[in-house]
Amino acid sequence: MRKVLVLAIASLAACAFCAPIAAAQQAPAASKPSASKLSPSKPSLDQLLQAASKARDENRDEEAIRLYRRAVAEEPESEEGLWFLGTLLYEKEQYAEARDVLRQFLTLRPDAGPGWAFLGLSELQTRDYSRALDHLQRAMAVGMGDRKELIQLVFKDVVVLLTRFERYDDSLNMLLKMLDGAAQQPDLIEPAGLGGLRLPLLPAEIPPDRRELVDLAGRAVLALQTQQYDEAKSEFKRLVTAYPNEPGVHFLYGAFLLQLQPNEAVPELERELEISPTHVLARIRLAEALIAQRDYDRALALAQQAIQLEPKRASAHMMAGEALLAKGQSDEGIKELEIARAGDPAVSRTHWDLVRAYKAAGRKEDADREKKEIEKLYHSNSSSGPSAGGDIPRDQGAP
Amino acid sequence: MRPIIFALTICFSLAASATTVPDRFETLAKQADTARTQEHVPEAIRLYREGTKLRPSWYEGWWFIGTLLYDQDRFSEAGAAFEHLLASPRHRGPALAFLGLCDYETGKYDSALARFRSWASAGWGGTPEFRDVADFHFALLLTRDGRFVDSLFLLASGAPRLGDTPELSEAMGLASLRMKYLPENYPPEKREQVWLAGKAALYAAQLPKDFARADEYAARLEARYPEQPEVHAFRGTLYGFEGKKVEAEREYRDELKISPSHAPALVALTAIDLEKGDLAEAGVLARRAIEADSSNAEAHHLLGRVLLAKGDLQASVSELETAKRLAPGSPAVRSHLAMVYSRLGRTQEAKAESAAFLVLKNKEEIMAPPEEKLRATAREKAH
Repeated sequence: MRKVLVLAIASLAACAFCAPIAAAQQAPAASKPSASKLSPSKPSLDQLLQAASKARDENRDEEAIRLYRRAVAEEPESEEGLWFLGTLLYEKEQYAEARDVLRQFLTLRPDAGPGWAFLGLSELQTRDYSRALDHLQRAMAVGMGDRKELIQLVFKDVVVLLTRFERYDDSLNMLLKMLDGAAQQPDLIEPAGLGGLRLPLLPAEIPPDRRELVDLAGRAVLALQTQQYDEAKSEFKRLVTAYPNEPGVHFLYGAFLLQLQPNEAVPELERELEISPTHVLARIRLAEALIAQRDYDRALALAQQAIQLEPKRASAHMMAGEALLAKGQSDEGIKELEIARAGDPAVSRTHWDLVRAYKAAGRKEDADREKKEIEKLYHSNSSSGPSAGGDIPRDQGAP
Repeated sequence: MRPIIFALTICFSLAASATTVPDRFETLAKQADTARTQEHVPEAIRLYREGTKLRPSWYEGWWFIGTLLYDQDRFSEAGAAFEHLLASPRHRGPALAFLGLCDYETGKYDSALARFRSWASAGWGGTPEFRDVADFHFALLLTRDGRFVDSLFLLASGAPRLGDTPELSEAMGLASLRMKYLPENYPPEKREQVWLAGKAALYAAQLPKDFARADEYAARLEARYPEQPEVHAFRGTLYGFEGKKVEAEREYRDELKISPSHAPALVALTAIDLEKGDLAEAGVLARRAIEADSSNAEAHHLLGRVLLAKGDLQASVSELETAKRLAPGSPAVRSHLAMVYSRLGRTQEAKAESAAFLVLKNKEEIMAPPEEKLRATAREKAH
């Protein structure tokens, strides 16, 4: 299934990419003939590329690969030769060789987004996951034009790889962007389930006896992300009923309930802490729920435990700051909030907290500065965050 | 773990190696440096290549060709450049590590391991950050070679500095579960096990030790995979680190139910029995360990200690000498050998072993990887 899609994308991308490269190649080829052009027994670079292109058009891929190889041997900096050789090798599932050829191509054309995409996809296949993630993200940054299928594939693989590198919040954030209102995307169920359960596995690495768990979690997360709350609740209930003792399940459900029925979230998050005693985010989200219930002492204790477990987690400092402020310990609260702001300046809730705290402390200038930061965040639109199963959303907290 | 290399390698920038140079070469060298500092990488590579054609002994040129190509993931070409640096005493160490990295990336794993061993023998050259990268790959190759303890030693040394890094926990998971694989080629269905074991090992290696989180992941591993080989042995090792001897013993015995010839579990139980004074079972278990793995130095060492405790000195010395042959860098083996020689009246040999024990014991307290210590010991012996 995936293979068919990829073949179509590769051909599509290759055709679209061909024109500018060919154009770029023409001038130097015409003005500076290669040595081989002078030899009657050897075809010129242009002749090789033309023959290779014809073979490719006629689906004689092996012949096309052979000819592109000759062209690249003749002229190692032939962008056209490297591009088509790389993508054809990718289509033929010769990923290691495709990777090497595309790397060469990209030294000449670092501006080619589809090149980074196919390099990343090749590296994903050779299980060089760190490079694959780097290069797929680079493809996204450089841009892949209007190749929707390629963009979709790259986004999905980035989601999957972010989860494998335990960057669950980033993964779910990306997933949210991918969904964009579209409800039914069956190929996103497993990535959503893995990210939601905070299991750093690729879909291909899910053990057979975990598939149902991941599937249930994935359906719940997707329903939540697409704001189908009734369906989400029903899926979450199925999940906790089927897997009451599984790490991550009650946290996921609790984080969902926090958005809709905060009081019901508390027992779920408490249950998670019984199952996973060192769960940092369960502590933070429970602290959040307890602050809403005005149980500041318990909230502060949980936030401080979270800080001890993970001193760099900004949201833990934010919860500690909120609890301290609520308890009337203004100076200590502001200190914690300032640590939170330094750790993750893109969280609008921290800035709102600081606006209120600075105002209460009579620090008008500081409060005004925070307001400006909030405006900047609002305009940069960078404050949106995950809504399923992760850290505290970055855009919460506005009064 | 990987992308920082280029930034680090610049630290190795060295002055041009000759004082009298033709104008053309000097011009090229300056142009190459300018292109490099302006990040015109293909141009810089081309210019450095021209420079090395004019002057093949221009080590700085080869260095930058190698590091620039490496940074572009062009490992075969980078390796070819680093080969030229082996003749330069100043560059040899880091070049060996780079060659190891290039061989690793091009799938020449045996050669990569040999390069890293040479790098270690040459003094583990490079900046601390570069060493982290090289150590990491060295450790991966040691795991692939079945040298799990050595691999974990290297990985655990870097763990407090590197923190909770997914690549590091994966590497530690493979070594902890004694899987002779690299991260890129182990069976996908093992991923969850490797992750859970790796997280447990990584937290146990932090400073201060985070045994609470280590135990949580180890418990998840055991709950998920109670029948899988290596899981109980790993849990036993972790309990051993935590000083929980009863729990450790229980886990090792559970491992033997699944893998009756599991040499590390047999060795660990022998040591527990010896400490408890149960010489009868200790002897049986040590012999089973040797039967399972005759090259296990610690099994011979422990059997030697059992026999020493029983008063069978001739048999003890034989086992301890075998252990010494298999692990010449172990101070504990030397210490017990000195005891037995002494009781046998072999005074000179006893003195020699005592002296070796002291040298090795001093080295044991230094956080240095085992190869380095063995190399130093061998050199001392030669003197």
